[in-house]
Amino acid sequence: MSPSTLSPIAFPDVALPESARRLRTEVRAFLDEERARGTVLGRPDSWLAGWDPGFSRRLAERGWVGMALPTEYGGAGRGFLERCVVIEELLAAGAPVSAHWVSDRQAGPSILQHGTEEQRRFFLPRIAAGQCFFSIGMSEKNSGSDLASVATRAERTADGWWLTGTKMWTGGAHVNDYAIVLARTDDAEDKHAGLSQFVVDLRAPGVRVEPIRLMSGEHRFNAVHLDGVDVPDGMLLGERGGGWKQVTGELAFERSGPERYLSAFPLLVSLLRELERRSATAEQLTQVGILTARLHSIRRLSLGVAAALDAGASPDTHAALVKDLGTRLEVALVDTVRSILPTPADQYATPGSHPELLAFALLHSPGYTLRGGTNEILRGIITRGLEQH
Amino acid sequence: MNTHTIDTNAPVISADAYDTTAFYADADAVPTVTNTTAPEAVALPSPGASTAQLLAAAQEAGRRAVPAPLAETALVARPLLRRAGLPVPDGPLSYAIAPELTIRYAHPAASPVGSAGCLGDDNTLLVTGTLRRVPWARAATAVVVLATAPFGPVLFTLTPDQAVLTPGANLAEEPRDDLHLATLEIPAFHVRRIAPELLDEARLRAALARSALIAGAAERCVDLTVAHTTARTQFGRPLSRFQAVKQEEARLIEEAALVRAVVQAAAVPLDIGGPAAHFAIAAAKTQASASAAEIARIAHQLHGAIGITRLNPLHLATTRLWSWRDEDGDEAYWAPRLAQPLTATTLWPALTTTP
Repeated sequence: MSPSTLSPIAFPDVALPESARRLRTEVRAFLDEERARGTVLGRPDSWLAGWDPGFSRRLAERGWVGMALPTEYGGAGRGFLERCVVIEELLAAGAPVSAHWVSDRQAGPSILQHGTEEQRRFFLPRIAAGQCFFSIGMSEKNSGSDLASVATRAERTADGWWLTGTKMWTGGAHVNDYAIVLARTDDAEDKHAGLSQFVVDLRAPGVRVEPIRLMSGEHRFNAVHLDGVDVPDGMLLGERGGGWKQVTGELAFERSGPERYLSAFPLLVSLLRELERRSATAEQLTQVGILTARLHSIRRLSLGVAAALDAGASPDTHAALVKDLGTRLEVALVDTVRSILPTPADQYATPGSHPELLAFALLHSPGYTLRGGTNEILRGIITRGLEQH
Repeated sequence: MNTHTIDTNAPVISADAYDTTAFYADADAVPTVTNTTAPEAVALPSPGASTAQLLAAAQEAGRRAVPAPLAETALVARPLLRRAGLPVPDGPLSYAIAPELTIRYAHPAASPVGSAGCLGDDNTLLVTGTLRRVPWARAATAVVVLATAPFGPVLFTLTPDQAVLTPGANLAEEPRDDLHLATLEIPAFHVRRIAPELLDEARLRAALARSALIAGAAERCVDLTVAHTTARTQFGRPLSRFQAVKQEEARLIEEAALVRAVVQAAAVPLDIGGPAAHFAIAAAKTQASASAAEIARIAHQLHGAIGITRLNPLHLATTRLWSWRDEDGDEAYWAPRLAQPLTATTLWPALTTTP
């Protein structure tokens, strides 16, 4: 099932094992407890906006953070499909998962794959315990889609590296512990060469985190200024000069998961709650049905990518396809919900009420098709995959 | 260089023991047959084939625009006959779901209540009415009809020559014939009383068969469009090198993948039946019908002028998409039926029922 033998429109079909069914039941029971505790509020975009380290730790106690990591590093040794079951349940419920999100999705698998034994032994058990939270240090002011043009530099010192530059749109840098920073270590004719990844302690001297407010006023993003930061040798992640390959390898994990089609799902749940109070018209039911069919279809594709990852493939083209479809649905969902039940969006309405959730999802919606690679770039990847096929 | 050929180089699936030539309709009766290079054989799956295999065959039939009721026979008529306990005739079969037919018993019981013919000594029926737009009726060896008799739902078979046939066709020139039945006697051995659930199952089977055909036609649109944008050169480079073309082509691929996935996902639920089958198949036909417009739009736009002519096979796929999305329930029929049972608390469990 390598990308070269898998047509871009053919995804493996998936049948979840019985163990996944049991797991789903356990997660639902856990979510019921957390609802009773008042932590799970059915909010959209909870993987960006729902920061609750206590929740992350309780989730970790169940073995549901870093669950695809091997047991010898503190993980649960379960597959991507099972991880998918857990996170889709969490996102559908709008649970606050942003604290451990990047550690669980990207940093863990990346350190497992590229890290030294020492790095694995240090970071992975902490990640799996929900006690070590990561940010992504990729984008910069002049490096968005053109990531290989990053200007952050890492200069060799006697016993490590000296980092200078500024990372932008860094989610959670003001509350997290580490960032995986992509920096230029060597000048090269091919701009994809000479890049390397570093694990940077966000509390190290020389790191200055400056808030960047979202248009909603929320503080999620930051500019992370690296004003000369000493990074020890042991914090180079993977090979010197191997940064580009490592970063693109992360993308299949980053692009195809349930967070790419479920960000606005709690708003659809809220709509159904509203429609139950009156009796839905045929036209309203039709629109709900069309949204539901599309959600169901995209979910099947996303599970197909998880199955391919479990089988050891790197389905980059398929992941790009899922992300474009899924995030476009997220945006369309917000607009369709608005037209099904015309409601003025109001961010000051009672928290959790339909007008408030609509305002929240709407203000977040332009980001859905930007983060993790803009959809225009993804569509280029999809057609390229076709030529290679 | 742009060559105006019709051959699509589609590999032919070798027919197994089944004689596919006998399965095709009379070429003269089907105008589109002359527009394909050759009716490409898709083996009719054996009776023991799994639902997933049947869906794959139906999809392949849709991709190749097979001029025969393969999906109708394999996924709808044959399984319904088996479920009703009737023998399965050889050859192409069709179906009609027609609760509006007027049905009486031919051998009325002497009954103290009710009108004449509402109770029968046996199941021999007298049937009056019109079966509208029956797929491939003129080519079928038998048509399976599901209807409502005075004492509940029945399934019976008839042969097209028992009816007066008014020929008709869909946008792809596939036969869609009306069959007029005037007090037609259906002998008891061709009739079975059925549970109401089988009537529901018939609607679901027909919708899923049609969805699989749509998935295949969508795939054909992708194949043809990619071949065209790779071969066709303008401004000194292939169309596929233009960013604007790539953006559209990617959306086409995505939409085709989406339909294929939702059809695949319905195989297991169809076997399980009940609410799981209803959800998966209502979603499949809703999505397949809703995606048809975008798939056909992009495929045509990227083909340019040749695509709207019969010099190119694209029309074989797009005209089918435009007809199939309406047949066996369009998205306006299935979407509200998909949404009806859903509430704020059951939506997510419904999405995650199977697997």
